[in-house]
Amino acid sequence: MLDIKGLHAALEDGTEILKGITLSMGAGEVHAIMGPNGSGKSTTANILSGKPGYEVTAGSAMLNGEDLFEMEPEERAHAGLFMAFQYPVEIPGVQASTFLQTAVNAKRKAEGQDELDALAFVRELRAKAKQLGIGNEMLKRAVNVGFSGGEKKRFETLQMALLEPKLALLDETDSGLDVDALRVVADGVNALRAPDRSFLVITHYQRLLDYIVPDYVHILSDGKIVKSGDASLALEVEKSGYAEFEAA
Amino acid sequence: MTDVFGAEFLDRLHASGAVKNQLSFEALRKQGFPNRRVEAWRYTDLAGQLGQTLTPAGLRINQEQSGLFGPNPSVDAVEGDALSLLNAAVGGEGFLFDVPAGAQLKPVFARFGPMADAALVNATNRITVGGGARAVLVERWGQTDDSWMNSDTSIDVADGAHLTRIILVEDGGTGTQTHRSFTQLGENARYDALVVTLGGGLHRIEQHVDINRPGAHAGLAALVLKRDRQHSDFVTNVRHLAEDTTSDQQVRTVVDDEATAVFQGGIKVAQDSQRIEGDQLSRALMLSDRAQAFTKPELEIFADDVKCSHGATVGDLDEEALFYMRARGVDERTARALLILAFAREPFDALEMPEAVQTMLDGKVQDWLGVAGDFGALDL
Repeated sequence: MLDIKGLHAALEDGTEILKGITLSMGAGEVHAIMGPNGSGKSTTANILSGKPGYEVTAGSAMLNGEDLFEMEPEERAHAGLFMAFQYPVEIPGVQASTFLQTAVNAKRKAEGQDELDALAFVRELRAKAKQLGIGNEMLKRAVNVGFSGGEKKRFETLQMALLEPKLALLDETDSGLDVDALRVVADGVNALRAPDRSFLVITHYQRLLDYIVPDYVHILSDGKIVKSGDASLALEVEKSGYAEFEAA
Repeated sequence: MTDVFGAEFLDRLHASGAVKNQLSFEALRKQGFPNRRVEAWRYTDLAGQLGQTLTPAGLRINQEQSGLFGPNPSVDAVEGDALSLLNAAVGGEGFLFDVPAGAQLKPVFARFGPMADAALVNATNRITVGGGARAVLVERWGQTDDSWMNSDTSIDVADGAHLTRIILVEDGGTGTQTHRSFTQLGENARYDALVVTLGGGLHRIEQHVDINRPGAHAGLAALVLKRDRQHSDFVTNVRHLAEDTTSDQQVRTVVDDEATAVFQGGIKVAQDSQRIEGDQLSRALMLSDRAQAFTKPELEIFADDVKCSHGATVGDLDEEALFYMRARGVDERTARALLILAFAREPFDALEMPEAVQTMLDGKVQDWLGVAGDFGALDL
């Protein structure tokens, strides 16, 4: 599914953030990357999704045999990559539902499928929105404008449900959520787990992993994976903190 | 007397026998056209226009409804703005739009253009909206060649009446359009105008509004979309001459290539006009390093109890929003178009616009952007 090999990356000013990440994920697996602030967690997600402002200095990332770093962000999305943003961006004046239709049809077009007309799309949108407790009123608003923290994350999850990615990156999805909102989002994510869909969950806290239980946990420290294990590793971090791994 | 700006142009005009009103012509010949040393013309140079040899021709009027327009005789004028004098001197007929008191009209659509190619078209128009009446007038001023359309429209909106004008100024070629309107507002009257200017060589649209009686409101909005070496100058002059009056000005500009867009926004509050609110916001989106946008707010306030605001921003597209959309699979071109379309629609929000007009304007903006597809709101 995803193969990251020896990934080094820097900011445009040359500051090296990632110092050799190697990670292999199989289809249907859920991996978590945990680490303290500044360890490179969000940078990993940003680089995989193609956010401007970084430079890959060495290494590779292949998604189902396709080189992600050779693709524009939209091509990565068409190849099945989805990033749930830590801070979803507000886009005034662009209606949420219109944006979703545009995104869904862009993907369908890239896959050689017919575009959905408004009627067919609205039918699908309503069904999926309902599962996430998203009402029409929210879909009529501009993208993320005036959304609460919980609404933004639910809207991210709705986009994921509509775009049916092969690999979903969840960047600090728990940040800014209370327990109830977290449960709604986690239920939404869990409902999307499938044998051909993998998740890379990036988080600072173990809490999220109580709800989205990973198959593998990797500890990131200073731009490198310093330890990998199963879900119990997350509990270990919860108990003893990141300090012992930084020393490693 | 060859020293005034545009003297040769006027002499050619005179020689062609086009002058119908000698007094107006003489006044104009004496003062000449404004050059860029005149503050109100600092950003707009008429030299190119005045270098042309144009044949005077009439205004072609196409209207979807009949009977609403009648011929409006041109007026005599011996003082005022040079372009108004030019209009009076050559004396073209214009349209008359007379809305009886109490009438509640469906939107009226009309198209205006030159009767000939490479023409100088002058038109004097008049709009009257009787007490308590409601009217929406959609004017499309268009041409495909290099004519110069020049018009003055005087407007009276009587007590309690509400007039909305949507003025689409579009040129397929590099023509010139200079249009002025002078509006008088009665008690509790309301005047909303949306100017959309597209294409052309030079467009200068002036909106002068006198708010004469309490309770009246003027809402002026403009959407300016310019590329290549196109030039737009949008001028407002709102005078609060009575207490308890409000005005709002919203200008959105998108400039690409080497285009120039100017907004000169005037709000004047007379000494005894208390409890006034006047807002003005100009936002410009620069799509090229060589494009230029100028905003010149001009506020003259002589009363104490006044809330006036003005703001201006110039910027590029939001990179974070672009990336967010691309990360969802929307290609860069479409993502940019969605952002520009959202920006361009902002002035529309202030108006109660018939859906057909909204659709028409959305189409114009999308044509300008070169993107197909329906990005309108979904019916949920």
